[in-house]
Amino acid sequence: MHFDPVANMQLLVSGLAFGSIYALVALGFVLIYNAVGVVNFAQGEFVMFPSYIAVTFLLPAITVFGTVVHWQLPIVGVYLLVLVLMVGFGLLFNRIAYHPLRDRGWMPVVISTIGVSIFLRNAAQMIWGSQPIVMPSLFAVDTISVGPLHIRPQDLLIIGVTAVLIAFQFFLFERTTLGKQMRATAQDRATARLVGVRVGRIVAITFVYSALLGTISGLLVAPLFTVTKEMGALIALKAFAASIVGGFGSIPGAIVGGLAIGVIETFGGFYISSAYVDAIAFIILISVLLVRPQGLFGERVAEKA
Amino acid sequence: MTSNPNVTLSGPNVTLSSSKGGASRPVAIAVLIAVLALLPAFVHSDYLLSLVDTAGIYAIVVMGLGILLGFAGQLSLAQAAFLGIGAYTSGWLTTNLGWPAWPSMGAAMMMSALVGLAVGYPCLRLSGHYLALATIGFGIITQLVLINWKSVTNGSDGMGNIPPPQIGSFVFDSYGRYYYIVLVAVLACAYVAWRIKTTRVGRALEAIRENEIAARATGIDATRYKIIAFVLAGAYAGLAGSLLAHLTKFISPDSYSFDQSVVFLVMLIVGGSASISGAILGAVLLWFLPEVLRPLKTSYIMVYGAAVVAMVVFMPRGLVGLLDTLRTRFTRRPDAA
Repeated sequence: MHFDPVANMQLLVSGLAFGSIYALVALGFVLIYNAVGVVNFAQGEFVMFPSYIAVTFLLPAITVFGTVVHWQLPIVGVYLLVLVLMVGFGLLFNRIAYHPLRDRGWMPVVISTIGVSIFLRNAAQMIWGSQPIVMPSLFAVDTISVGPLHIRPQDLLIIGVTAVLIAFQFFLFERTTLGKQMRATAQDRATARLVGVRVGRIVAITFVYSALLGTISGLLVAPLFTVTKEMGALIALKAFAASIVGGFGSIPGAIVGGLAIGVIETFGGFYISSAYVDAIAFIILISVLLVRPQGLFGERVAEKA
Repeated sequence: MTSNPNVTLSGPNVTLSSSKGGASRPVAIAVLIAVLALLPAFVHSDYLLSLVDTAGIYAIVVMGLGILLGFAGQLSLAQAAFLGIGAYTSGWLTTNLGWPAWPSMGAAMMMSALVGLAVGYPCLRLSGHYLALATIGFGIITQLVLINWKSVTNGSDGMGNIPPPQIGSFVFDSYGRYYYIVLVAVLACAYVAWRIKTTRVGRALEAIRENEIAARATGIDATRYKIIAFVLAGAYAGLAGSLLAHLTKFISPDSYSFDQSVVFLVMLIVGGSASISGAILGAVLLWFLPEVLRPLKTSYIMVYGAAVVAMVVFMPRGLVGLLDTLRTRFTRRPDAA
């Protein structure tokens, strides 16, 4: 096989960009899991729904509930608006899908998040129709040349924003009272409550934070694909796989796992098989589970159950 | 957090099928079977009969999942994949090798069971969310193979002309006739599940569900029993897949998606996970729910999603639990706990 360093560099950049998206969504999974002990199966809809809201305000013309609207607001304003709306969404999600079931173990919550996911996907289809919608990006050009490389500026934006968010999260968790309360809640809710942490509020904040991570991933990734009701589902499944590969519950694990899956998947899709590209994440997942069930950074899986 | 779905979902094992009915219970079951056997005489709509047949087939898949999740407490999201393996085994054997339908059904069941063994053996070292995730991965890989292995599966175009079963010259080629095959299969599967539940294997599974470490301490080979449950769940889904293939005569990969596995899980949870009658009730109810909601047109699946959330919030023990509560309230039997 012909080995082309330029092509490989381009693959690496694009792999890191996808990996960043998986890492952000995986962080959302891990934060909620740590706070409430439950995997949120509607995490993909945290990516999909805000993307639809964004295109509604961005495009010169879009059909909403069968009527054409022409908002076409400035892109940065739309991003801010979507983030604000998703704060409310996160709070509502916590209230409806998690809060009433919080004392009933993990399975009912899993089922209810699945129910919310079905609801949102079909709400999206009802509101915006089933045609894929193209989201405008911040950039006027699709690719830029860096030396011999042709790179999508959107990829660089994704990697950059992810790096900033990870740094922000590190600061939040290590240096602020709120972050410490979130960590305390994740570690031991009963003890956290004993020392005065308002656990219910911290859980709500965690849901909001996780919804915002999903929103940012959606806004970043949608210009590369299209906005569809299914766009979040596969991203979320791969992000979930990434968080297990990294070691479930581990924040560095989610980041490294996400990046690793993005890069391996991109190279695998290019060199091995583009038809099976979506299987790669799960083949890695099952292999990791068999060889090192606790993941790269993780605790022992068997005891977490 | 608890690793046990059943304490919270199904509660104590008070269900229609396991409550004390005395001598009246076999009579009730016989009457029920007689009524079910006469159903095609009263239902003349082909459309309705096709829905009933499919509901029965889904009840088999959900019963299989019930053995795994309800009895053994292990969550799998690969039931649709096993359904697909069964359907394609049957489809391939009949259309490519010219096998008759009946042995193909047996082979489909065997094939799904064998794949279940191959997947279950490594995966059942995991539990909880991790097992769920590994099975999701397996399901997605299976669907990709069905789409891309064109020489065998014919890819996205699907596989057609799958013949219906026949006995002598009697061909089960109408929904009314096929109904009896489905009915016999459902009853047989329910019987097997009931036998499992009430014998040694069932008690071992229940012990594993309640506390795996304690079960191991009492000498139960937990891994072996979990694999048995996983293989049985696969075999049930394989049989159902084959039944579905011979009913619809056409199969394509998009029917065996992750979303379909989720639907099976929801059916079981809504019905009541540790109960055989709950599995059947949940499958039938949720299969007909979209039909009832059809006047809502495009919003019906959305309402379906909301209904699922409402059912989990307001009916913690599923339909069976709800019926049980109602029955206790109306009959006020002192022994009904």
